[in-house]
Amino acid sequence: MLEINGMNFPLDRVYYTRDGAHIWLKQEDDLIKIGMDAFLVEYAGYLTFLTVNESRVKVGESIGSFESAKFVSRLYSPADGEIVAVNDEVIKNPRKINEAPYESWIFAVKADSAVLDGESEYLLDDEEKIVKWISEEIKKVEEDE
Amino acid sequence: MKYYNLGEINWKQTQLIYHALAQLEMEGLVLDSPDSRYVSLGLHQDPRDEIDFEYCKDNDIGIFRREIGGGTVLLDSRQVFFNLILKRNRDGVSRVAENFFRKFLRPVTRALKELGMDAEYRPICDLVINEKKISGNGGGEIGYCRVLAGGIMLDFDREMMARALKCSGPLKQMYIEHMKINLTTVREELGYIPPKEKICSLLIEKFSELLGPMTEGTIDAAVFEKMKELDQHYSSDRWMYQRGVKQLGREIKVKEGVYLFYHAFAIPGGETGITFEISEERIEKISFDEPHNFHPILRNEMEKKIIGLNYDSRKIIDIVCTMIEKNNN
Repeated sequence: MLEINGMNFPLDRVYYTRDGAHIWLKQEDDLIKIGMDAFLVEYAGYLTFLTVNESRVKVGESIGSFESAKFVSRLYSPADGEIVAVNDEVIKNPRKINEAPYESWIFAVKADSAVLDGESEYLLDDEEKIVKWISEEIKKVEEDE
Repeated sequence: MKYYNLGEINWKQTQLIYHALAQLEMEGLVLDSPDSRYVSLGLHQDPRDEIDFEYCKDNDIGIFRREIGGGTVLLDSRQVFFNLILKRNRDGVSRVAENFFRKFLRPVTRALKELGMDAEYRPICDLVINEKKISGNGGGEIGYCRVLAGGIMLDFDREMMARALKCSGPLKQMYIEHMKINLTTVREELGYIPPKEKICSLLIEKFSELLGPMTEGTIDAAVFEKMKELDQHYSSDRWMYQRGVKQLGREIKVKEGVYLFYHAFAIPGGETGITFEISEERIEKISFDEPHNFHPILRNEMEKKIIGLNYDSRKIIDIVCTMIEKNNN
């Protein structure tokens, strides 16, 4: 487990970074479970709504939305594939994500092709790269204050 | 950056314009007012839970479900809207909602001050004068843009706002009373309403100070075309009634930290409603629809246990349900 500024980043999964997505991906059998990372949860504040609207997803496309602090953000897919399961518990009560982001998967994708062993520049699993990425993200937020 | 000072326009266009600009990735500041009244719902709200359709139909109140956040609001020509559309990768456009609202509401605060009102920002996204809200705001991502949508209340029909909502009569009355205490308008602050042109000029001036010089823009054919396309989409039943997650109970927000929350609880032989009044994010008061449904001792216990708690609708429901269940055993 990696800890950066009080935020945890388990190393048993991969992080999707494109357009500030802050999504984690974890392979479980032939499915990839997807959720939000600690950075997103920390800076979004309490989640009040979460929706997943699509069933077929394409990498980088919006597949749903979430709301916190009267601001709607989009949820972007890190993979091409089919959504085969949505976690109703977190849809009904998105605060579960605030309480335990890495136990609260949002949806599971059956990817069209191998995602996690690919070469995408937007997928990070290396400790050093995650530290660099999160440190830069924190700096950006502080500069915007 | 361009500003679009559109004056009074068709009510639906006041929403379509900023959605279209954002979809087209065109940055800008839009200032306008609707020519007739309507209610605008947040993306995650369902009109079937929020709106009194019959009242809205009888009173020619239009309904629009927007792409961005926040609650249900009654909008009419006695408000000046400001919509700021910024590309999300633009320097200084924060991904943190509070930072975003704080920064981009500053010009509105300054415009209100110059008009003689001591407006202040209240997180997350209200502008208040003496703790009374004068401007409600919401935001969100539309396409590759981040959008701020807000309005300044020049005058406001609190009764119509309450009547347009779907909730019980007593709750509507309570809402009106809370709005009287917690909302204000330009007319109430100044005793008159300055010309909208003056307000818009000030907004353009203050936003220019923050974002750099602005030039006047006109809505071109491409934007009109996009608005037409979006109108079809946003007017469709598929969009309007896209069922989100059914919310527990009925929450009505008056201003930041002030809410009314109503829930019907199962009791032997039926159900009964309880209204919770929340101030500064804490439960301040409980009212029972039919007090006789609960023994006075149980009512007292509920009040003792719940009043003063931080507002979390799920926790409140859990506590009350447990107490009712325990009492029934």
